[in-house]
Amino acid sequence: MDFSGLSDMDRGRMNAYIEQKQMKDFLRLYANLVDRCFENCVNDFTSKALSSKEDTCLNRCVDKFIKHSERVGLRFGEQNALLQQQQQAQMSGQAPPQ
Amino acid sequence: MSYGGGYPQQPRIQSGVNMSMAEQELEMVTTLFNNIVDSCHTKCIATRYHDNELNKGESVCIDRCVAKYFEVNMKVGQKLTAQANQGQQIV
Repeated sequence: MDFSGLSDMDRGRMNAYIEQKQMKDFLRLYANLVDRCFENCVNDFTSKALSSKEDTCLNRCVDKFIKHSERVGLRFGEQNALLQQQQQAQMSGQAPPQ
Repeated sequence: MSYGGGYPQQPRIQSGVNMSMAEQELEMVTTLFNNIVDSCHTKCIATRYHDNELNKGESVCIDRCVAKYFEVNMKVGQKLTAQANQGQQIV
């Protein structure tokens, strides 16, 4: 985000908001990932400790999710840029500059 | 939005513009991103976890999944806008 156009006060407010939002997002991601990996990896309750198989599965599950998330981030950026280009082209088509 | 290189969008926010608009925009983008991560993970990633790498099939699936999600997002948005413009109530 480019906040150079903001006043100092607004920039402070925006940064505080983003920080809060990132924390919230991280907690959400954490909880979701625990749930997802637990669902996918832990199905045997003959012992109360995680088996080495479950442990391996969990490690892979988390690693893979992070890689997945990174890849989505990359493609998301590309798609978003494309969308903005299209919107800009549309806007300049509707109201051509004098 | 802790992964994927931070916020993908780079709009220039101006002072004087309603700050809650900027916050709303940010909220929209992050919600979209989070939903795509969830949805495409469910649809593309095999749950057997043979290894910790994305295989080729999964990678291609993710790429297509993200593109399609954007398309669906746009389509639904257009339809809702059309409905709203017709003055019909969205229930």
